[in-house]
Amino acid sequence: MKLVAQLEDLLYQSQQAPKKEELRLSAWRILVHESEAVSLGIKDNSPGSVYTPPSYRQGESGEVFLVWADGTCSQALVQLPFQNEREFWSNELEQWRQASYEDPDAAHIPTPEALPLVAVEDRAIQQIIAGQDEVLFDQVKHWLTEKPSNSKMQGSIQAAWGYRHVRTSTGLAVTYQQSQFVTWFSFDSLVGGGFAKRRLIRPEEREDLWTQTVNHYEEMKKEAPSVGPQTQVILSPSMTEEMLGQFILPNFSGDRVLEGQGAFSKESFLEQKLVFHPHVSLIIDPLQPLELGSYLVTPEGVPAQRTMLVREGLLQTPYLRVKEAIRWGAKPTALPQGMGGLYLKHQYEVRWEEALQEVEDGVLVLSVLGLHTQEAVSGSYSLSAPHSLRILKGKIVGRTDVKLTGNFLADLAASTTRMAHSNLNDHPYLILKTGVQTL
Amino acid sequence: MEQLEIRTLVQSVLAETKELEGYFIVRAQSRREWSMRLSNGRFDRVSTGGDSGFGVQAFTKEGASGFATSDVLSPELGRKLVEKAIGLARRNEEIGSKRNRQIWEAPLIQEQIENPSQKIFGEISLVELQEKVMVLHSRLRDGFPEGSWQTSYRQIEEVWCMGRSDGTLVSFVIPRAALMHQGTVRDQGKAQSTLVHRSGMDATVLFEEITDHTLETKAMDRAAFAKAVCSAPLLPSGHYPLVIDYGLAKGLAHEAFGHAVESDHMNESVLGEAGKLRKGLRVARPGVNIIDGPLIGDWAYQPFSANGLLRQTVTIVEDGVLVAGLGDIFSAEDAGMPVTGAGRAESYGQIPLPRMSNIRLLVDRMLPLTVAEHLMDEVKGVRETLLCHGELLEGTKNLLLLGYRGGQVNPKTGDFVFQCDGIIDVADPTLPIYQPSIFSGKILSALEAIRGGLGEGAFDAIGTCGKGGQSVASSGGSHRYLLMDVDQQVSLGGEQA
Repeated sequence: MKLVAQLEDLLYQSQQAPKKEELRLSAWRILVHESEAVSLGIKDNSPGSVYTPPSYRQGESGEVFLVWADGTCSQALVQLPFQNEREFWSNELEQWRQASYEDPDAAHIPTPEALPLVAVEDRAIQQIIAGQDEVLFDQVKHWLTEKPSNSKMQGSIQAAWGYRHVRTSTGLAVTYQQSQFVTWFSFDSLVGGGFAKRRLIRPEEREDLWTQTVNHYEEMKKEAPSVGPQTQVILSPSMTEEMLGQFILPNFSGDRVLEGQGAFSKESFLEQKLVFHPHVSLIIDPLQPLELGSYLVTPEGVPAQRTMLVREGLLQTPYLRVKEAIRWGAKPTALPQGMGGLYLKHQYEVRWEEALQEVEDGVLVLSVLGLHTQEAVSGSYSLSAPHSLRILKGKIVGRTDVKLTGNFLADLAASTTRMAHSNLNDHPYLILKTGVQTL
Repeated sequence: MEQLEIRTLVQSVLAETKELEGYFIVRAQSRREWSMRLSNGRFDRVSTGGDSGFGVQAFTKEGASGFATSDVLSPELGRKLVEKAIGLARRNEEIGSKRNRQIWEAPLIQEQIENPSQKIFGEISLVELQEKVMVLHSRLRDGFPEGSWQTSYRQIEEVWCMGRSDGTLVSFVIPRAALMHQGTVRDQGKAQSTLVHRSGMDATVLFEEITDHTLETKAMDRAAFAKAVCSAPLLPSGHYPLVIDYGLAKGLAHEAFGHAVESDHMNESVLGEAGKLRKGLRVARPGVNIIDGPLIGDWAYQPFSANGLLRQTVTIVEDGVLVAGLGDIFSAEDAGMPVTGAGRAESYGQIPLPRMSNIRLLVDRMLPLTVAEHLMDEVKGVRETLLCHGELLEGTKNLLLLGYRGGQVNPKTGDFVFQCDGIIDVADPTLPIYQPSIFSGKILSALEAIRGGLGEGAFDAIGTCGKGGQSVASSGGSHRYLLMDVDQQVSLGGEQA
């Protein structure tokens, strides 16, 4: 019997006819993932090495949230029992009861609402899982044939497909299929490229990503002049994503805002304080087809919707789960999936190719060391970025090592900050005036 | 799931491989975790659960490998995973993968290590644990009401069993517990956070904290320090004589050095040459030693590798000279080092990689330091000891870096960065505080700059090693403080000089 079915039986019975009155539930919700994944990697130019062999993974696990008859709550991670289903679940229920705690704001299970139509499954990925996995092996062969000579290549490809089940005591019973395709590669562990969506990479995307990464690698071999005080700093899309993850996402978590642990207070949101430049907006959008951050319904049973966190520089709302929404006095919002689903927009974005031509004196930062060590609340950063690319008169001219000092919240508020987009990325290039010096 | 059950399961899966050509490693893990978090006086989450499953790593007779895992611990699935794993290994053979037959050389071991915990998982009920954590959280809030506080407690029990085609069957239990206080303080419109922890094997951690308040005192002192940091100036960037605490020293030893001697990294390590460990290379001054190995009761304790080999304690640097690396069965020989049982994995679902357990950086030249109850008293003690021994370098700031916020290293280039909670100039009798700024440079230069230690060893700095996208418990330390000379290849970020 499937895990989700076992849990539905157990929780329904505990709500309607519990074995003991103290084990009576008043409400519950279940989230279960059933998934299969295949992957293959390259280490030091060796495909399928002992550390990166072709792999198959299957899983069936999830979590339950329970509201007991006395109003207390419990939550637990769940897997299929090893043996003796009946006794196992009976013991689990007793343990969950023991772990109950008071959290009145959390003890609310939303009533079902209409779900949006969002594409989150690529059938081609299911075929890979079913055994037609030549695409993975062919890709690895292609990489190794085409890679720059003398480079040490690392890489990985993973395809995953499965079911997501969400059930609630209020009547929501949703099961849908979703897929994921994630691939990355790097040369000499210095320059890399990646792709992560709910669909396979298209041939033209694969080609563009490869060409761009190889070009960056080749440009890295030339020494370039040092940066100066007037040098513009350009964060590559992957760097922008990492900076958003470090400095922005935590400060928009409803939980942290409510507990006074974020950069912005609740009052700042209610007053719609101007925190970014009026040309800048921040959105969570889980409705984009086949994006990694897209979904139909949250684990709590809230239908996917678009949420503006910052509109034209003005704070709108943090992202709110059900519990936080109740404390906030609002409806639950969309939720980011890691960094997936979060989009930074500028009113006057241009194409990267155009923006690059206008950079007289700049440095393109592809990666930094130690970003995760920076203080999210203050937004301040002090980072070293060895292996950055120097830009002079609109052209990438070679490699330089720099140190960056600044404040990312201030960067997003600055009138000098500009953004540029490319077809390869969901996040923009960020063109900043910030502290930069030679490392 | 108990050790006996998990051993039986592994044996039954291995039985499925008897008729097949090749070599098989079966890893099974049953993990239980209870965790709770309090936020500003109320429970935010109490969670129970775990993650259990097993994996089969198969090798063709030529040494190509494949891997298959499931989070369903069921003997019936054993056959399916064995077939999947060997099928993938055969596919792998066809694409010209690098073969590795080292596992055939591994010694046969049959061991069952008893659970070393003092209070077994579940001995203290969840209700009692919740009461104790609430008491500790409330005491902290009362003691430092201007902070926003979160308190977390986790206790984990992992039962591991590894079986191999040669008849090896090794099982052990890893108990682990940690209490953490995270505080956010504000001053002059700026915010800073601080995180302190106390770790051990089990709920004894809570009982000890109830009695001695060690973590509570540390949390309040660190919060007061964080508040001072909010309005503190930035340092001019540059090169300074440094004093680093043992948390940062663990970071330096782990990120900047330990990873560079792991056997799978020799092709791209600054401590490797033509794929071999540069044994005999002088990497530090005489008297500097770096040792890695499991300690019972420690956060990163693990008595056997995830390939079923004994985990050895290794002296990596002896008297300033690189003498050994951390080798697992698959890459130690290629890397020119002995197999030390260094393979560790986050779970049954990942391939084990050579990695550290508890890494300690110790120097022969140690100045005595009396450990003080409060942070600033200890900092004064550091200054007095340095003055007394003529160790304060004149005409410049002597900067004490406090708190480890993590770091990163590029083992190929030897570049490292670390971040601390804040900085104090111990050359100035007023002990001025500065904002944290990045501590970066070249790893060999940083090691070469170490000139002494202050105080006895403290090895309980804990963390999580993220190598290979996995999350594996790590720990370590040094003397309470390490002294480092000025070095042009080691700098502090900050305002442009």
